[in-house]
Amino acid sequence: MATGRIGVTPTLGVRWSKAPTGGTTALSGLDDSSVSLVYSVGYEQVYRNGVLLSRGNDYTATTGTTITLIDATITGDIIEVFAQQLVPLADAISKGQFTAKGTLLSATAASTPGVLGVGANGTVLTAASGQATGLEWATPSSGGMTLISTTSASASAAINLTSIPQTYNELYVYIRNCKPANDGGELRLRLNNDTGTSYQHLYWGNETSTAQTFTGTSLQLMEGNDNSVATGFTWLRLPDYTNATTWKTTTSVAVTVDATTTTSFRSRFNVGVYNQITAISQLNFFMSSGNITSGDFLLYGVK
Amino acid sequence: MTTTKPQIKIVNTTTGEEIVRDANPEEIAQIELDATNAAAKQAEATAKAAQRRAILDHLKITEEEARILLGGN
Repeated sequence: MATGRIGVTPTLGVRWSKAPTGGTTALSGLDDSSVSLVYSVGYEQVYRNGVLLSRGNDYTATTGTTITLIDATITGDIIEVFAQQLVPLADAISKGQFTAKGTLLSATAASTPGVLGVGANGTVLTAASGQATGLEWATPSSGGMTLISTTSASASAAINLTSIPQTYNELYVYIRNCKPANDGGELRLRLNNDTGTSYQHLYWGNETSTAQTFTGTSLQLMEGNDNSVATGFTWLRLPDYTNATTWKTTTSVAVTVDATTTTSFRSRFNVGVYNQITAISQLNFFMSSGNITSGDFLLYGVK
Repeated sequence: MTTTKPQIKIVNTTTGEEIVRDANPEEIAQIELDATNAAAKQAEATAKAAQRRAILDHLKITEEEARILLGGN
């Protein structure tokens, strides 16, 4: 057991007890409880049957691991050694090594302590074999989706999600239980509230080898939806929405309740394109005609 | 008093602030334009469907038979 305090020479206390065979003079190795005999020379106390022996007169102890009795034991003798093994001060942890708030001690090699200063706020400690201490502070990778906002439509002519944080790599929107006021209404999307002829979309199966022009004033997300049953679902993906040098693309998949037969569905896989290069900070949802009676619009940011 | 103007719900996704207000004249004009465009698109789709029906009737074949004939799904 190591004892002591930082700044004070620590010691390791050992109690070694053995009933050696008669005629023994050299005491070493494991005792009857499998404790090794280890001591710092001059700091040991040796007892024979409870009587403290005199160093130099009754025994010699010079190696740190062996004690030699002058008089050999006789059968039944109990030898006990109370040893104090000094831990060199150079091997002890000094409070002076903690040079600043947050300082950590970490080995730079076996038995070689090193100091690692505290990292920047929000960083985390990670293994780094290339660093002296084998550790470094790093910005945590934050993957996954973060729910930015949830908005419910309620007889809304439009749902405008504005001031979208520009700190994500892409956006996802989940649109649940959306239904129009007018039977057959189609949910549509504009970016940055741009009402110009800046859009075009292709949907599944509409493969074309001819160049397309931008003729739409919005992107159609849904097929016509029933105005009474709201079990449809649409998801929308808008990658790299913060870049200000390229046109933008969207993909969306929608299942909607058929406006005539509400047990039937219509689906739409839509690829939308937008011919403006500005970063997107607004999403504007509306129906092809009439209000959005209901629906939840969940905006997620993805890193 | 019950408003008859379209309601615009605006959510500031940074602050969480949510407001609902009447559509302004410009927005109302856009809503009407969108509705007109949607109606025109619907009328065009309806006209094309009628035209297709007329062709099928003229050929005395069903839509299913037309799909088989043209190799579509």
